[in-house]
Amino acid sequence: MELYVPILVLAVLAAGFAVFSVGIAPFTGPKRWNRAKLDGYECGIEPTPQPVGGGRFPLKYMITAMLFIVFDIEIIFLYPWAVAFDKLGVFGLVEMVLFIVTVLVAYAYVWRRRGLDWD
Amino acid sequence: MSTLTAAPITAPTIEYGELAPMLIIFGAAMIGVLVEAFTPRYLRKSIQMPITVLSMVGAFALTVWQGVRGVRSAAAMGAIAVDGPSLFIWGAILLLAIVSVLLINDDDHFVAEAAAVPGSAEEDQALSQGGAHTEIYPLVLFAVGGMMLFPAANDLLIMFVALEVMSLPLYLLCGLARRRRLLSQEAAMKYFLLGAFSSAFFLYGTALLYGFAGSVDLKAIATALSTVGGQDALLFIGAATLGVGLLFKIGAAPFQAWKPDVYQGSPTPITALMASGTLIAAFGALLRVFWVALGDLDAEWTPVLWGVAILTMVVGAVLAITQTDIKRMLAYSSIAHTGFLLTAVVATGKESQNANALSGILFYLLAYGFATVGAFAVVTMVRDPGGEAGHLSRWAGLGKRSPLLAGIFALFLLAFAGIPLTSGFFGKYAVFAAAVAGGAVQLVIVGVVTSAMAAFFYVRVIVLMFFSDPAPEGPTIAVPSMGTAAVVTLSAAATVVLGVFPQPVLDLAHTAAQSLFVR
Amino acid sequence: MIAMLAVPLLGAAVLVVFPGPARHPWYGAAVSGVTLVLALALAVRFDHTRAARPQFTVDVPWIPGLGLRFHLGIDGISLPLVVLTALLTFLCFVHLVRHRPEQGRIRALVIALLVLEVGMTGTFLALDLLLFFVFFEIVLVPMYFVIAVWGGAGRRAAAVKFILYTLLGSALLLLGLLLVWAHAGTLDMVRLAQAQGAGLSRAVQIIAFLAIGLGLAVKAPMWPLHTWLPAAHTEAPTVGSVLLAGVLLKMGTYGFARIAIPVLPEGAAALAPWLGAFAVAGIVYGSLACLAQRDLKRMIAYSSVGHMGFVLLGLATLTPVGMNAALFGNIAHGLITGLLFFVAGGIKERYGTTELPRLGTGMLARLPYLGSLLTFACVASLGLPGLAGFWGEMLALLGAFQPAAGLSRPLFLVFMAVGGVGTVLTAAYFLRMLSHLTHGRPPAGTIGGGSRGAALLDVSAYELAAWTPLVVLTVVLGLWPKALLSLTDPVVQAYLGTR
Repeated sequence: MELYVPILVLAVLAAGFAVFSVGIAPFTGPKRWNRAKLDGYECGIEPTPQPVGGGRFPLKYMITAMLFIVFDIEIIFLYPWAVAFDKLGVFGLVEMVLFIVTVLVAYAYVWRRRGLDWD
Repeated sequence: MSTLTAAPITAPTIEYGELAPMLIIFGAAMIGVLVEAFTPRYLRKSIQMPITVLSMVGAFALTVWQGVRGVRSAAAMGAIAVDGPSLFIWGAILLLAIVSVLLINDDDHFVAEAAAVPGSAEEDQALSQGGAHTEIYPLVLFAVGGMMLFPAANDLLIMFVALEVMSLPLYLLCGLARRRRLLSQEAAMKYFLLGAFSSAFFLYGTALLYGFAGSVDLKAIATALSTVGGQDALLFIGAATLGVGLLFKIGAAPFQAWKPDVYQGSPTPITALMASGTLIAAFGALLRVFWVALGDLDAEWTPVLWGVAILTMVVGAVLAITQTDIKRMLAYSSIAHTGFLLTAVVATGKESQNANALSGILFYLLAYGFATVGAFAVVTMVRDPGGEAGHLSRWAGLGKRSPLLAGIFALFLLAFAGIPLTSGFFGKYAVFAAAVAGGAVQLVIVGVVTSAMAAFFYVRVIVLMFFSDPAPEGPTIAVPSMGTAAVVTLSAAATVVLGVFPQPVLDLAHTAAQSLFVR
Repeated sequence: MIAMLAVPLLGAAVLVVFPGPARHPWYGAAVSGVTLVLALALAVRFDHTRAARPQFTVDVPWIPGLGLRFHLGIDGISLPLVVLTALLTFLCFVHLVRHRPEQGRIRALVIALLVLEVGMTGTFLALDLLLFFVFFEIVLVPMYFVIAVWGGAGRRAAAVKFILYTLLGSALLLLGLLLVWAHAGTLDMVRLAQAQGAGLSRAVQIIAFLAIGLGLAVKAPMWPLHTWLPAAHTEAPTVGSVLLAGVLLKMGTYGFARIAIPVLPEGAAALAPWLGAFAVAGIVYGSLACLAQRDLKRMIAYSSVGHMGFVLLGLATLTPVGMNAALFGNIAHGLITGLLFFVAGGIKERYGTTELPRLGTGMLARLPYLGSLLTFACVASLGLPGLAGFWGEMLALLGAFQPAAGLSRPLFLVFMAVGGVGTVLTAAYFLRMLSHLTHGRPPAGTIGGGSRGAALLDVSAYELAAWTPLVVLTVVLGLWPKALLSLTDPVVQAYLGTR
């Protein structure tokens, strides 16, 4: 348990610092409002007008993002196998094929349902 | 680099044969996805349905075969336990899933176009064009596969994966009811948010227990209980958060809040699948975690589960009395039954005692599963113009309109109430007997009193059906399709047979429980 | 033996499948008649010299996984009750031949009554604790329907009260049975009774007796758990009331004699004073409540509370005399109260009401046969020597005079004295009722509900046929109590270990 004491101390220090900074700012800092400060931050340019509540977002962004994550993770799984494929032998090959087939099935579904078309 | 390559790697083994029932289900689900991708719309349903049912029947046959062969081992490097209880639970889940699929196969339970805004023109258009989401079938298969993996997982990580594989399709399926779309979407949203929350608890508990034992293997955790010292905080917090995740899935109080909303909003066939299959799977997993991994810690968790069991029984029975919606009432009754089952989970002791308690739980789960699928099947048949007639007052006088249907529903209700000569009685008796033998007498006192209370509201529905005058413009009784008729008949038959000659199934449960969980 | 259960069950099953026979007025009577003949055959073939041993036993494993055996048998204390059950059911059906329920649905009623008969007979035959419980519960459902469908105006509330009380009672009963099973390791009543509580610690026995006792006391019913009874009796149809009073209440007291006392002797000894106290409270309360009743059926219901008080007092003494008294009282009460409810049903049919003030006076002059039968039943019920009611009460008080060793004698003497007051009160309310109802001059013009006015029929042939056996048996048992006591005594002696 003693091993964790420094971590605990560090966590307390970090939390304390954060609370302190946020808490002290309103009392010590100068308050000079202007419109630009109250606006949402969009890389320094004028904010694009948005409907109330953020408005609707085309679903295709989300599908693209999800597909990206799926293939991203597939690559991550491929790396360790690629390093040790000879030692894992047939077992590794079979498992990897199964894994890729699984992803492929999903890919085929997305493709046929036109999830890959942008328009 | 050199150190990495120099280290010898022994390839792990996977016993495909022993895992075959599960692999069939997952494989069929993948084929189902391909069918969705490559076949024309009008053919899909007639391909999906046979694939689903046949794969389940095949998996069931394989499960039975393994049971006959007496397979008892931990497969996949000890990550998945194919032991007696697993096989029994697999069989039960598959049977109930087959029955539920017959119900799911019925038209017009599911939405035509899930993405359309409820009540919009797009929805009407999809409806008139006869649109349907046949993805339901692969989703159900994935869920069932997850249900099978969940109680068999002998390793907390596998268990977590199974939990997600089981839950994610169910979150989706919950939101696909054709009628009362908003309620259905609300149910899906609630189930997803609360389910994700509980998964987080589960994962957190897994991490903490890994911190304690240095392994996620249930057996290794059990060993670590006696060998590792000075890490009690990790152990207790880990066990507690893991328990929260599991208790959420079985719907024990105080984690029961999702059940009524989800049961009410979901398409009724999906409710039937959840109420039977998910409950069985989650109980299997709960038992495995608490009995195998934390078995030697029972002095610590028993008092907590006592409290949970009492609370669950009381909350379920008391709140059920005030319900006016039939599906909500059945949801609360499911909570009460969860509480009854928990009385036997607590009743641990010597090995023979554990085996008795386990076989009681297994039998109860199967008996309750059939009765509940049957009851929900009846619910699908009583309809208003706007969908199923949910409000209890609409059920008044059903016995006069359709004596047969009302009689069968009364049978299921009597089984829930635990009246002798129905399956519910022997289930309850077996569980309570195990609890008494395990020294949980006070718990059984609460159990019998709440079950008498619960019996009251079941009887109230029977009275309503048979002795009240029918509402002037009462619900219509849908002419059952072959599938629904088969479901109702099968469930009623199972309820009666398990109530009069439960011996074969009890024997089976007993044999399954004899070896307890593989360690 | 099994036929006793199979015949009514088959009879009911046939009706479920084929609706036809129900329309025949004699169907139910025929089925229950066969059952009665079987019961009488059993009684004749019963070996009276070995009354203490269960005879005609059937013992097959039913569900070995739960230790449940289909174990039936008949001995000295169950034989009279089985015959009584068969008789009363048969008479109910005979009554139904002419007196169709107003609500119709005769087929459902016949089914319910037949299933009820299966449950009641099974309860008395069962020699396995769990089997006993199964039959005990089976009785609930049809009885509930009988009250809820064919009852009077307040039937819904009465039925709900009935089911709530009895369900809670059976829940406790189940708990007690589970305790016995967990500690004794068997559910066989015969072996449990022979063991005389061996292997059960005193604490377990007391808790188990409390649970089982409460469960049975609801059914008996013991004051203060009786409040479901008047409502149920008043609202139930005649046949329901007869079976409720004649048989169902007996299941509670029979359970005491068969299970609670022999299986848990130490628990019984510890709690007997309480049982006795509640019993005499019931006697006095029942009679006082009767004095205040304005409704005939309600009055009979409260008188049942009083009479079952005597039965429970007899049981509480834990002596052979007291137990015999209880078992005798059981049968006598079944016969007499059955008769009373039949007569009350007849009155209700004629006058359209059972409220005493509206019934007016002078029944003997108006309806001489009905009036005499009512008088006979009341006199029997108040315990006139020479009729069956007398022996049960007298022997119960005698038992209380000399309770079993280990029980406080002064306490039971007080019980006896209070019980004696109870008998006087019982006599008082019955005589008051009789003097009001049967004597005097019939009021001029119409009576009671009055639409049927002057043309009231006296006892019909069917009614006479249904009632005569009860009258005869009441007289026979009153004059020759040994006929029954010789049956029950050996069992009681064996149970209490006094022989």
